[in-house]
Amino acid sequence: MESTPTLPIPISYVSGRYLLFSVDAVTYLRREHNICGVLIGTLPQIPQQNVFLGLPLELMPEEARVLVDKDVACIVDEAKAHDGMRSLLEEDRRQYLRDLESQGQLAMRILADRKDQQREQSLKEIDEKKAKGLAAKAAKAAKAAADAQVAPESSPAPTEKEEPNSIFAGEDGTSSLSRTTGISTPAPQQALGITPTTSYPPLPHPVSASSQYLPKPEVPLSYPLFAHLHSRGYFLSPGLRFGCQYVAYPGDPLRFHSHFVVVSAEWDQEMDLMDIVNGGRLGTGVKKGFLLGGPQKRRDEVESEADRVDTVRTFSIEWAGM
Amino acid sequence: MADADEDAVRGTTVEATQIETDLSDETQDFRLLNHLNFLTDTSSSGLPRRGEKDFEPNPTEFQADVLSASRQAMHNALAHPRLHNPKNQVIAIYAPEGPPPPPAVTPGQDTGKPVARGASVSPDACVYVPTPKGQHFKSMGQADRKGVIWLLPEEALYLLERGSLDIRWPTSITGGIGEEGCEEELSIPMSLQAAYACLIGRGGLTLERFTVYSSLKRIGYAISRAPGWNDSAKAEDEDRPDAYTQPLKRGAGLAGILGSIFNWINDPKSTSSTAAGPVIGYGIHRSYADIYKKLALIPWYDPTLAPQRDPLNTTAPYRVILHVYKPNTSIKKSALPPPDFRIAVISTREATTIPTLPQLSALLESTPLDPPQGEKMERNMYMRLRHGYRNVILAVVDQGVTSFLRIADVAFGKERLYEGVNGPTGPKKGGNFKKKKKR
Repeated sequence: MESTPTLPIPISYVSGRYLLFSVDAVTYLRREHNICGVLIGTLPQIPQQNVFLGLPLELMPEEARVLVDKDVACIVDEAKAHDGMRSLLEEDRRQYLRDLESQGQLAMRILADRKDQQREQSLKEIDEKKAKGLAAKAAKAAKAAADAQVAPESSPAPTEKEEPNSIFAGEDGTSSLSRTTGISTPAPQQALGITPTTSYPPLPHPVSASSQYLPKPEVPLSYPLFAHLHSRGYFLSPGLRFGCQYVAYPGDPLRFHSHFVVVSAEWDQEMDLMDIVNGGRLGTGVKKGFLLGGPQKRRDEVESEADRVDTVRTFSIEWAGM
Repeated sequence: MADADEDAVRGTTVEATQIETDLSDETQDFRLLNHLNFLTDTSSSGLPRRGEKDFEPNPTEFQADVLSASRQAMHNALAHPRLHNPKNQVIAIYAPEGPPPPPAVTPGQDTGKPVARGASVSPDACVYVPTPKGQHFKSMGQADRKGVIWLLPEEALYLLERGSLDIRWPTSITGGIGEEGCEEELSIPMSLQAAYACLIGRGGLTLERFTVYSSLKRIGYAISRAPGWNDSAKAEDEDRPDAYTQPLKRGAGLAGILGSIFNWINDPKSTSSTAAGPVIGYGIHRSYADIYKKLALIPWYDPTLAPQRDPLNTTAPYRVILHVYKPNTSIKKSALPPPDFRIAVISTREATTIPTLPQLSALLESTPLDPPQGEKMERNMYMRLRHGYRNVILAVVDQGVTSFLRIADVAFGKERLYEGVNGPTGPKKGGNFKKKKKR
């Protein structure tokens, strides 16, 4: 898990959105760069729920931009990259299919093994139950006999009880073994079909062709505040659902509650006082701070977005009289 | 972490009270999934319980361990492969050119199969399933004349993503492998990434639309495209102006208000006008109802009289693009019943402000009248108000996070409190009613 994928990580640009498909890239960015994104895909193992979601991971343009600015990632036009499917060499194609086939066989074997294990387990359980039942019967019989023979003989009964148990268990152990070996000889030739998650391979890794990178993502006016908070170690996620632009977490959202509801504004932007009151009450109501901030320079005053990031100031508003 | 020093001073136990929330609102602790994981164990089932979250990071090893366990679990869950057992594998083939145009009537072909059925395959369909099997095709796909099922891009992508469909690249793109090889056996399977790259953006399918589609599909709803799916589709009646269509009945417009004032002046029971005396006029009043009726001076809006608008006569994104059916409705693909819900999908990065009143009312007018009905509604006024006379659901997608808002057209004026037997007679009954209700 502690592996580092090849940098820069290709971010798929699909129809105007930024997506990640490689699980290694997702965990790496989360671990090393505090980028969480939003999982939007269906998990094939539990497809009928919306609580746990799977790949792909959607990144905000802000997140993609931060990564590109750090040279950790690059943007790849995925539709264009997949035109490469037309020019695959026959040899690569065969190799790829062979790889898939052997993976499928491996998966089949794992599944078969698991099935065997389970069967063995359940057979053992059944046998144990049976043995216990018999043992109980034997014990009862013994007890009845002991009762008939009056009190002093009652103490050896438990040892007697253990004996048949162990005998039965031994017998059943062999019998169940023979049973499983008799049935389970799966044909290892048949492979499971696999739908791979990423297209690299069979396509060549896009990082090798830096000329094909797309330009840096376009970002909204709130980008400087995003980049500022991100550089301070906060994890940020989209926040409209919570009534703000971003939700800021002090650590990985997997383990920590968020601390701020974040709203960005331009420095000389006129604001309705009511918005500040609303934000303050909203934040306090959900035990978070209302964080208002923005860069002191306008876009036309600086050369690049990065210069604005340095001028960000933030204010936290809390509703005190509640 | 930012607060590491501060925290070291304060000590490690900062307790955060856990507020009960919608599970899907929060980032999930994927450790819970571990026991469902493919590579560890498959026997146990049942819904996992949520773990406790901490207030903020501290430099303890314990916390680091818990976090890395969580991340590992997430990694495992996301790395789960999509496998197809050869016994029930369903193979589909990507057709970038779409379905062949329906051939002109060709009698004599296709004997033995109902020819007329499903003759119309949507031109947006781009994945076909030669031998469909499984329950998914009951509510998805359209069969062409040969019995081949064609899937729309969102249907194909959803099925692939949940591991129920194996889409193959067509040999026209990848080239055949060996001349003797049969196409299905040797074609290259499409990856999830390739499917997104090829299918999103096809036929009006944006990522936001797909997110909404699949999130509803996952929990069992059946979904079909509404006529408004295509952004550029316009109402067929061209000479009709872009504004309101002809109202069915005269609404409470200016004329209506004037009319009611006129009626009020001419009311034979009234003996006076407002200018001279009390609003309700002099004279003997025998019932409260009459008095209240006279007091109702403020014109109100009656949604039942609002003009009906062609669903295509709205502008994106405020137009209905999905028809949604509850899971228990039996659906015949050929004859779809009226939908249970109508959904408009809005991306927050494209529409950054809340919709204006004209946008919302145009959207509502494009939905059919759905007055509150049923025994419960009859009894409970607040349920009637909540239900409204027209309704539509906005699915607001903020970078992958979807919120569903139900917008209803409410008629307070239609609830005559002074007449109703069920009106609030005693002390206040509460009724903290919201117009916008989150589902």
